[in-house]
Amino acid sequence: MDLNMNFLTITRWEFENTLKSKKFLFIFLMQLSILFLLIVFFNSFAANMESEEGISLTPSLVDFTTLDIEDRGGLFKKYVNPEIINIISSNGNNSLSRTEKGETGGWFKVSPDSIKRIQNGEVVDIVLYLDYSDPRRSVIRDEVNNTITTMSAVLTKEYLKSADNQNTSNTTGVTEEKTGESLPIQLIRKVMLSVLLFLPLFLFGNIIIDSVVGEKERKTGEILVAMPISTGEILLGKGLAVVAISALQVAMWIIVLIGAGFTIQNVIQVYLMVVFTAIPIVGLTSIIAAYSNNYKEAGIGISAAYIIVVGFLIVPALTYISRNSYSSNISPMTVVMRLFAGESVALPEMLMAVIFILLMSVVTFKIATYLFERDDILFGPRPGPIKLILQIFHIKKR
Amino acid sequence: MVLTNSSYKNPKNMKNIPKNIRKIIALARKESRDILQNKIYILVVFVQIFIIMGAVGLVVVAAVASDPALMDQSGITSALTIGLPEDLKESSLVEYLEEERITLKYYKTTEDAKPFLGDELVAIIDLSDTGKVVVQIDNSNVFYPVTSTKINNAVNNYNTEKTLKKAGFNESQVKVIQNPVNFRIVKINQDKEAPLILDNAYFVELIYGFIIPFILLLPFFLASNIVTDSVVGEKERKTFEVLLMTPMSSYMVIIGKSLPILVFSLIQSLVWMGFLNLLKVPIYNPVLLGLVLFFMGLGFIGLGIFISMLVDSTKEANSAITLLLVFATFILFVPLFVKSDIFQGVFNFIPTVLMVKLASSPTIKPEMMLYVIPTLIISLIIFLVTVRSFKHERAIRL
Repeated sequence: MDLNMNFLTITRWEFENTLKSKKFLFIFLMQLSILFLLIVFFNSFAANMESEEGISLTPSLVDFTTLDIEDRGGLFKKYVNPEIINIISSNGNNSLSRTEKGETGGWFKVSPDSIKRIQNGEVVDIVLYLDYSDPRRSVIRDEVNNTITTMSAVLTKEYLKSADNQNTSNTTGVTEEKTGESLPIQLIRKVMLSVLLFLPLFLFGNIIIDSVVGEKERKTGEILVAMPISTGEILLGKGLAVVAISALQVAMWIIVLIGAGFTIQNVIQVYLMVVFTAIPIVGLTSIIAAYSNNYKEAGIGISAAYIIVVGFLIVPALTYISRNSYSSNISPMTVVMRLFAGESVALPEMLMAVIFILLMSVVTFKIATYLFERDDILFGPRPGPIKLILQIFHIKKR
Repeated sequence: MVLTNSSYKNPKNMKNIPKNIRKIIALARKESRDILQNKIYILVVFVQIFIIMGAVGLVVVAAVASDPALMDQSGITSALTIGLPEDLKESSLVEYLEEERITLKYYKTTEDAKPFLGDELVAIIDLSDTGKVVVQIDNSNVFYPVTSTKINNAVNNYNTEKTLKKAGFNESQVKVIQNPVNFRIVKINQDKEAPLILDNAYFVELIYGFIIPFILLLPFFLASNIVTDSVVGEKERKTFEVLLMTPMSSYMVIIGKSLPILVFSLIQSLVWMGFLNLLKVPIYNPVLLGLVLFFMGLGFIGLGIFISMLVDSTKEANSAITLLLVFATFILFVPLFVKSDIFQGVFNFIPTVLMVKLASSPTIKPEMMLYVIPTLIISLIIFLVTVRSFKHERAIRL
């Protein structure tokens, strides 16, 4: 590809035209309103998590299942979580038939003389009748198990205390000294913030589609191809305009995030890494746009491709949080996450992400140029995806 | 797109169908053919299979990593490595820790073990001068909850044994103190047991509470571009005038155009329900779920067409639809993760919350039908308003 600087003229045209559109500016600002919504959501979610101990990233699921509880002593019932399980007090009359009919998830039956038995130092009998035709049975079983474990520990402690007042105070329990931030909090604070930083990169794919597929649909592609400018320069010019718009939005999002109280350290490096990641994403979008016959195809194509790209960005970041894996740094999201958290990122780790982005940028733009240069893809009839892949790898001749 | 007379006048078996319905069917057929000939759409349909398998697989892994019993079954004990000083080798604490299937690694002192905490060690255990067990544990480790539970179990057993040795209880008293509760589970409806890939609370909560609504709505989200293209695309290609000149009213055009994508998306969702059943994630109440999805689809399509009427180009339409999807995701999925006493009454009417309850309940309560009604009414209103406003020529800007 023989490049000169003509592509910058195309970049300037595309950039100026996009920013002149009032509707685009409206959408641009609406994207910022989404950011505000997300900030409110994440902050309340994080506050909720930090206020409760041992919480995990599971849905809230209020009244997910029901459980009949027969506990005349009332000692066990108070330990069952009433949020996820809708507790129905029972006298035992019809709870078994209700469980059999599937009207309730189970029947938790504590022996009626439980308090008397505890006072006499006897074992308390508890039976859980569990409906196995209900897939939510494990939720009830888990909750009841937790209740019994908690109550058993309390009873054991009380028995021991009454037997040996002097020693038990020193020997029960564990002193736990925690190091590091808990995983759910890390997921909220680090991964969610990373997602917010990378989100703008996925909001401008339609501009590429319009500027590539639009040329096909408006039949102006022929004129563009006939101009004294190479296909590579056309795509690069159009692509860089979108990268510039993404860069503008990323900058605004970072300013808003910092304003909202998020701590972003190494802000310049974070910004550059996020914007740099936009290049291969634009390249991938260009491939889809170059291959697609119309907007409809291209729109569906980028929806699927972006899900895969998001997966590629997030999975290594999650792996890094759980295992501190070195290879996770291949994802720019991992590096960005570490940078804004103030971690020191070694040069080889940084280079791993940068080289990968660079490589993917070259590969995607090369493929997009190759597709855009082919008459059969630009004007039809277009080869199928499998045939095309075989042709790209020279396994099959054109 | 031009609608030929032969496409709706010819078939003999359509003689008894009213003329207007025949026209709608003819347009719907043409739109269906367009969709089925769209290679990228077909590719995206298959990509969803991998998304479903990936999502289910990820939840299985997360569930195993958070459940001590499942961790024991999987045999991944090397991940649960803790460090101890060598002088604890002969202690009964070690026996209890080994019973919990934790991998133990000995160091001369805990100071020697400290550099490895957070790397190869999840925790370090030592005894204080007073005999209390002190645990330094890496809170950020993915196996923190499992390790913490196992250590607590071992330490509790160790502390109880130590106290019992001093107190001089008889055998029956020791039994009561160690196990103050006699708990058993009676399995009801075992012959109709719901088959589950993993009978675990975390798995069930995450799969029903988030993954299933996500999977069932995915076909509708991915079809949004087809909806906008069917109106804006026609406007851009200047084929809409021709379509409106055919002997069809505006509402017939909009129904004929939206029906195929609604049906295709619904069929995909129903197929994914079957696929999830094959993966041993049973989905209940498919008819009611289908009804909710059908009306939600109507609402989505209505909004998509409404947006198409307001914009001039596919670029604008795609930008606006991306925003709409983000807002829809926010409204539909945030209530699944938020606990709110104030809004819980409203959350019960959110379609995704309904989907969670419908998909996971073998027996449905009558009041559930009441919760479904607002979704049906609101979706229908959105669609009808769209159809009504579509009649105005100013909206389609001819």
